[in-house]
Amino acid sequence: MSKRRFSLSEKQLGYAMVAPSLILIAVIVLWPIMLSFWNSLFDYRLNDPSLSQRTLGSEINMERYADNYDFVNKTIEEILAESSAEEVTNEVETIQQGINERHNTFLSEGDHEEKFNEVLETVRSHYAVKDQSLKYVSIDESFKKDYSTYLTEQSESLASLSSEQEGAMATRLSDLSGQIKLMDSSFMKENFVGFGNYAQYLQESRLWQSIGVTTLFTVVSVFFELVLGLAIALLINRAFFGRGAVRASVLVPWAIPTAVSAMIWKFLYDGQSGVVAHYFEQLGIIQDAGQLLTTSAGAIFSIIFTDVWKTTPYMALLLLAGLQTIPHQLYESAQVDGANAWNRFYKITLPMLRSTILVALLFRTLDAFRVFDLIYVLTGGGPANATEAVSVYAYKVLFAQQNFGAGSALSVIVFICVAIISTLFIRFIGSDLMAGKQKG
Amino acid sequence: MQRKAGPWFYLFLIVFVFLVMFPFLWIFLTSIKPLGDIFGSPFAWFGSGISFQSYESALTTRPLLRYMLNSFIVSGATTILAIGCAAFTAYAVTRLPIRFKSVILGVVLASSMFPPIAIISPIYDFVTDFGLRNTYPGLVIPYITISLPLAIWILATFFQNIPYSLEESAKLDGATPFQTFRKIILPLAAPGVFTTAILVFIAAWNEYLFALTINTKDAMKTVPVGISLYQSQYSIPWGDITAATVLVTIPIVIIVLIFQRRIVAGLTSGSVKG
Repeated sequence: MSKRRFSLSEKQLGYAMVAPSLILIAVIVLWPIMLSFWNSLFDYRLNDPSLSQRTLGSEINMERYADNYDFVNKTIEEILAESSAEEVTNEVETIQQGINERHNTFLSEGDHEEKFNEVLETVRSHYAVKDQSLKYVSIDESFKKDYSTYLTEQSESLASLSSEQEGAMATRLSDLSGQIKLMDSSFMKENFVGFGNYAQYLQESRLWQSIGVTTLFTVVSVFFELVLGLAIALLINRAFFGRGAVRASVLVPWAIPTAVSAMIWKFLYDGQSGVVAHYFEQLGIIQDAGQLLTTSAGAIFSIIFTDVWKTTPYMALLLLAGLQTIPHQLYESAQVDGANAWNRFYKITLPMLRSTILVALLFRTLDAFRVFDLIYVLTGGGPANATEAVSVYAYKVLFAQQNFGAGSALSVIVFICVAIISTLFIRFIGSDLMAGKQKG
Repeated sequence: MQRKAGPWFYLFLIVFVFLVMFPFLWIFLTSIKPLGDIFGSPFAWFGSGISFQSYESALTTRPLLRYMLNSFIVSGATTILAIGCAAFTAYAVTRLPIRFKSVILGVVLASSMFPPIAIISPIYDFVTDFGLRNTYPGLVIPYITISLPLAIWILATFFQNIPYSLEESAKLDGATPFQTFRKIILPLAAPGVFTTAILVFIAAWNEYLFALTINTKDAMKTVPVGISLYQSQYSIPWGDITAATVLVTIPIVIIVLIFQRRIVAGLTSGSVKG
């Protein structure tokens, strides 16, 4: 049974067992956060070809260049073959010459010709260029400027020439103008901006407002969750019939996806058919059922109320588990000594629950500060950005505007806030969190 | 102090459970109303009859069953992968004589606190570059960020509570450290591993941000994203949404009903010292 020769010592086995998880965490948590920070130093936009890479020096997108160079040449040949007007032929010939001159200078440098031909072949057979060192090639800054200016000018003059022509020739010329413009966009702009994105956001009121909304949401909802959760835990800390059923029903709001419960509440808050909005109106809490999701105060109330509904039961469960570890004798002897209920709560329950409460607070606060699904689905950050939490704002910049540079700056700001909150908490909790996990 | 439960207590309990469950109750009642009643008399508890129109429409206008299948595959794969890696790590950190234990646990804890928004853009680039958008691995890989730290953290608590004496006697009998892990610790920790698996599964099932950005094709969406996008630009089909919500909530309710004891044990193990 024992295969001695394969056995590792305890230490070796330990490191071998820890390695896979640590590598995974390093690759998909720690490395991405560093990349996020790196991205945030660039004006990096997915929807703008000349900014779609993080470019430190002067670079050209060879794939785009080769592809459009091919098109431009083809169109020029076609125009020269079809054209009868002398001014068109002359102008297009000059452009052909001008481009070829610069193209040849470009190819003569380093290994550009080799790379260009390889990329051209790939592009012609309709494959994407995967190799990044082939796709992005560095070029001389002043040459790039000259080439780029030339292309911009020619594209403009062709556009005006095309407007003077008629019929098929006009279309051909405007096609050529567009292709030259695309060729121009293969020159990457240097887009390193340092802390520019941060500087811009720190002066922007929308960011401060979103941080304010996130903080308000976090503080108010976690406060109510803790107070109500503790009250419920104290009340149900006794033997009663139907414990299992109560526990299960309390777990359901916690267990269903936040996005789904946000949809449920969106229906309940709805101005026309929402039953909660209707009852609130009847009770006089709001003047009009429509106010819940259309006014800023109503919308903030709505997200906090939903979060409290979803998380209070969960908080109560955690605190109840903590309450059940407090020995009965403590309360009994306190009662013998004549301590009243308030004193027992204040002198026994709270101190004994301290670490449970702090740990629960830490995780809840972080969760609340990272809030995304609830707000994104329930209000979309509206009305007029009144409920736009920082995560939601960052998401909009990243994926709606496709602005990965500025959006990364926002997401790094969220990260920093979360880091500050957890450092503060861990100072308070100290080693309680890790206790008991690393003996032996 | 154990007090006795009187009638007032039960009254309170009923009100509390009713408030917690009211949204589900209302969604269920709405989903079986005839369509006309949902908009005609939205505040009546019961409609003019029972109708399954909304369910039919919810299942035919969007591939709801496909969403559920996607969620099931992604969450299942995430759970297996995370538990596999985490069981080793949690064992090594709690039981084996390695160095830097507190550093390792610190890194695990810190990464469980990472806001997903902070890593979404590099992950999106990565998934796009490898052609993994709208695939299952495209979600399973990012889900490691949520599930692995969670699994390590909870499993470490469970492993900690297994008595040392069994391990010692296995060692004396000449078992290698890995044999001890496989033959002694794993069987003993099985209930804890199972509990952790349920919690990881639920966490993966509920994830929204990665699913929203990475799997945008309708056939590859997960349940939370699918449900949140039932609404169209101009009208909100509440009938479809309530029916779809009821359908996707049922599996969760079943899991919670069956495993409630274990779930509570798992949830509290990380935050309460026994």
